[in-house]
Amino acid sequence: MTNRLDRWADPPLLVLASLADEPKHGYAILRDVAETMSVRLTAGTLYAVIARLEAVGLIEPLASADRRRPYQITAAGRAALAEQTARMGRVASIAQARLGERYGWAGA
Amino acid sequence: MGRRVSRPGPLTSLALMLYPPAWRERYGDEVHALLEEAGSGPATVASLAVRAVPAWMNPPRHLHDRGARMRASVGTVLVAWSALTGVGAVFVQLTQLQGFRAPGHPLIQWCYLIFDAALAVSVLTAAVGGVPLWLQMVHLARQQRRGRELTWLWMAVVVPAGYMAAALTALTVVHDPEASGSWWFAGFAVLGFAAAGLASAGPAVALNRLAPEGPAVALAAAAAGLAAATVTLAGLASAIAAAGLCLWATSFAGYHHADLAWAYLLVVVAVAATATVSGGRGIRATFAIAAR
Repeated sequence: MTNRLDRWADPPLLVLASLADEPKHGYAILRDVAETMSVRLTAGTLYAVIARLEAVGLIEPLASADRRRPYQITAAGRAALAEQTARMGRVASIAQARLGERYGWAGA
Repeated sequence: MGRRVSRPGPLTSLALMLYPPAWRERYGDEVHALLEEAGSGPATVASLAVRAVPAWMNPPRHLHDRGARMRASVGTVLVAWSALTGVGAVFVQLTQLQGFRAPGHPLIQWCYLIFDAALAVSVLTAAVGGVPLWLQMVHLARQQRRGRELTWLWMAVVVPAGYMAAALTALTVVHDPEASGSWWFAGFAVLGFAAAGLASAGPAVALNRLAPEGPAVALAAAAAGLAAATVTLAGLASAIAAAGLCLWATSFAGYHHADLAWAYLLVVVAVAATATVSGGRGIRATFAIAAR
C-alpha cells in the first residue's frame, strides 16, 4: 500500500537509485521504481527527469540496438546519490529516534 | 519472458507532438517504445502533455542547439515583427496621418507618444541587427552559388520596393482615392501585409537554409529580442489607444466599430506574444553563447 507521503518522493532521486546497480531503459526504470520503491512514475515524469539528469551529467545514455535506450549512472550521479541518501539517512535516523523516545515506536 | 507490446493511441502521439522538435527527436522513439510496453491511458496522456510545458520553457541544455535556436528566433521575430509593424502602419494611417489631433482621454495621447517612440526604436534596432546578417547571407549565398537562397534574400528589398512603386503609381493614376471610399485603403493594406509577409519570409527561409554562424547571428538575435520587445510595446500601446478611442472618442476616425478594435487587439496580442516568447528565447541563447 502506498503512503500519502509518497507524493513527496523525489523522482530524480528514485531514478538515480534505480540506476545505481545496473543500466536500465525507461520501462525497466518504471518497473523497478514501482516494484522496489512502491512509487508509480508516469512516462511524462520519467522522461522529464531523464532529460534533466542527462543535461546535468548525472546519467548518460548507452548505445542501443533498438529504440529502448538504456541509461547508466555517472560518477557525478553516484556522488550526488550518495550525498543525498546520506542526508536522508540522517533525517530517517533522527525521525526514528524521536518517534521511539516519545511514542515507543520501534520502526517498521 | 515475452514483452507485451501495444501501440500508443492517437492521443498519446498528439501529446508527444506538444514537445519541442529537438526533444521529440532525442526522446520520442524511447517514449513510444516505453508506452508500447507499459501501455498508456488518460493519466499518461495528461502527464506527457503537462510535462511538455517545461520542455518548451526551460529546454534541457544538452538538447539546445544554440545557433539553430538563435536563427529560429530571428526568423520568427522577423515575420512577427513585420506583421506588427504593418498593423502599426495601418494604425498610424487611421489615427495620426489624417491631420487629426489625438482626441479624448489623455491616455490615448500617451499611447500615441509611446507607440511612435517604440516603433521608431524597433525599426532602428531591426535595421542595425538585421543588415549585417543579411549582408553576410548574401555573401555566403554568392560564395556557395546558391541562386535560390539569393532570390529569397533579395525579396526583402525587391518586394517592399515593388509594393511602394505600385502604391505610388496607383495613387498617381487615381487622383482621388478618397472618392472610391475605403476600398482603396483596404486594398493597399491587404497588399501591404502580403508584401510584408513575403519580404520577411524570404530572409527567414534563407536563414534556415544557409544556417550562417558567427557574431552577425548573435547580434541579429539580440536585436530581434529588443525589436520584439519594443514593437510589442508599440502594439500594446496602439491596442490600448484603439480601445480608448472606442470608449472615449467613438466618433473619431471610424472607431465606432468596436468589433474591429477588439479584433485588432486580439491580433496584436497574439502576434506580440509570439514575437516576445521567440525573441526572449533568442536572447537567452545569445547570452548563453556569450557566457561560454
